[in-house]
Amino acid sequence: MSEVRAPTPAEERGSSLRDTFRRFMLRPEAPALVFLAVLALAFSLSSDKFLSGPNLESILVSVAVLGTIALAVNQVILCGEIDISTGSMLGLCAVAAGAVAISTGGLILPLLTGVAVGALCGAINGLLVTLGRIPSIIVTLGMLYALRGVILLVTGGTWITGIPDSTTVVGTGTVLGVGYPVIILFVLFLVMELVSRHSTWGRNVFAVGGNRRAARFAGLPIDRTRFLAFVLVGVFVGIASIIYMGRAGSVQTNTGTGLELQVVAAVVIGGTSISGGRGSALAALTGAVLIGVILNGLILLGVPGTWQQAVLGALILLAVATDVLRRRLVGDKA
Amino acid sequence: MSAATAVLRRLKFSREVVLLGVLIVLMIAMSLLSPLFLTVGNLLNTSRFFVEVGLMALGMTLIIITGGIDLSVGSNLALVSVAVGFSYAAGLPLPLAIVFGLVVGVAAGLFNGLFITLLDLHPLVVTLGTFALFQGLAYGLTEAQAVSDFPPWFAYFGQAYLLNVVPGQLFIFIVAVAVVWLILSRTRFGRYVYAIGNNEEAAHFSGVPVRRVKLALYSGTGLLVGMAAVIYTSRVYTARGDSGLGLELDVISAVVLGGASIYGGSGTIGGTVLGVLIIATLRNGLVLAGVPSTWQVFVLGVLLLVAVFLNEFFRRREE
Repeated sequence: MSEVRAPTPAEERGSSLRDTFRRFMLRPEAPALVFLAVLALAFSLSSDKFLSGPNLESILVSVAVLGTIALAVNQVILCGEIDISTGSMLGLCAVAAGAVAISTGGLILPLLTGVAVGALCGAINGLLVTLGRIPSIIVTLGMLYALRGVILLVTGGTWITGIPDSTTVVGTGTVLGVGYPVIILFVLFLVMELVSRHSTWGRNVFAVGGNRRAARFAGLPIDRTRFLAFVLVGVFVGIASIIYMGRAGSVQTNTGTGLELQVVAAVVIGGTSISGGRGSALAALTGAVLIGVILNGLILLGVPGTWQQAVLGALILLAVATDVLRRRLVGDKA
Repeated sequence: MSAATAVLRRLKFSREVVLLGVLIVLMIAMSLLSPLFLTVGNLLNTSRFFVEVGLMALGMTLIIITGGIDLSVGSNLALVSVAVGFSYAAGLPLPLAIVFGLVVGVAAGLFNGLFITLLDLHPLVVTLGTFALFQGLAYGLTEAQAVSDFPPWFAYFGQAYLLNVVPGQLFIFIVAVAVVWLILSRTRFGRYVYAIGNNEEAAHFSGVPVRRVKLALYSGTGLLVGMAAVIYTSRVYTARGDSGLGLELDVISAVVLGGASIYGGSGTIGGTVLGVLIIATLRNGLVLAGVPSTWQVFVLGVLLLVAVFLNEFFRRREE
């Protein structure tokens, strides 16, 4: 792989193609994109319903909540941390936002409430990880259960129903046939791509996750970078809770159960390295869409819903194994 | 201030004593909350519940000492429970079905171990994957059905009393504790476990067979999970795909509460056993006091956070 001599012109033409291929395969989200294409082809051959506009749109709408949260958790994982509290967090944000929606209606106040509650939860996670120096897996595992307890305390176990149409419009409304959830997801994706590439914090995230010692010697604000990543998760979960509410029309006490696993799955399946420092917002989005396509394909193929969890687990393992093998193949030691 | 520091330092030196103190205080508090708590019958019955968590916590202690973690133990329990129940329902004699279940448990643990060692992956992400995979398999294979027409003697593992008062599984647990304690503190393998946790690379270059030790640990934990699953299935007399849901939280909490550092390198079997007892006391006491089960989960989540925080606090104070 490490050729030193100058290539001849003929070699250059051949190798430029190979280089393009190599450069593509070096992108973190490359395997997921290839897999997504192959899968889409397979599903569209085996079921003529798959490639229809309404079905594709419904896949994207169905992954809006997952994708939104995955975009933020992606940043936490890039920092070399993890957040598995998002399922319960989504439930709590939705409960708070739902309560406000019932009394005021509209979009702004429920959204602000959801975002505020989410940011608070994220800040607690971030403080425990940075100041408390507790590993993030333990912090967020504890929070996963603690927040579920808070939900039951606040609601007393009852559902929140009767959310006004002025709030649920976020889940049902469309622009030119494209649902609001899809638009929100893509706007947030673009924002995260820009933040990742062009903001100081976005670059710091890669540095902190890639090599924490080096980041410390370079004087980067390691704790602040990680703290902000956890808060960002809270904010995005708050936004996702509004989408969720708009789609479901009510909030149950078990809202978001098991979602934390799908979110982490989406991020690592998309190609962001679980050990941090390597990945992209596109990876998180690709992973989320891939999960949506797979779950949708399973339904179209008539696979019982009881198998979903097993498929998800197998996908996580397949994704991390592919990542290792791909890195060995292209000689990327990072 | 200096007096307080001295006290803290002394506390650090005998973590087991502190945990014992916590356990006693907790028991007094619980007996005040409910008059039923401090009866011999109740205390012995509590052991019915903590033996399952305790068996899994023994394996988890060694894994956490090496700096690893196994999030899949609860799901593996469901898988073994289903393997026993459904192979029996399919016509396999029950003793063979139990053996088959234990084999499934070991195989699942071995699968974790192979994935972690061959691909050099962090145990966290592997066992997060198998957490979903094992539970999904248990759920999918059974199509969310349950088996509960076991022969009466199957109840022996989870419901029997020895000498009319002592739950049978308590003996299994005591034997398991003794064996794992011996392995960890009296054998070369045990030293390897600590060595890997303190510095895996250094251990590797010192000739410790890191991969083989890890494979043995994850498979051994699979065996302990299998034993816990048989006891669990016998106790509730039902094999279902959603057995053991969330048990990994109890197990990890118990180990961390017992003083094992989540960063690896330290931890003891004595500490873990006390951690298991504290969590069992808390759960049982809260049930008797009429606290709903959802609140117990909340308490457990907070307890886990406090335990890790105190662990790292004491550790840093010592440095």
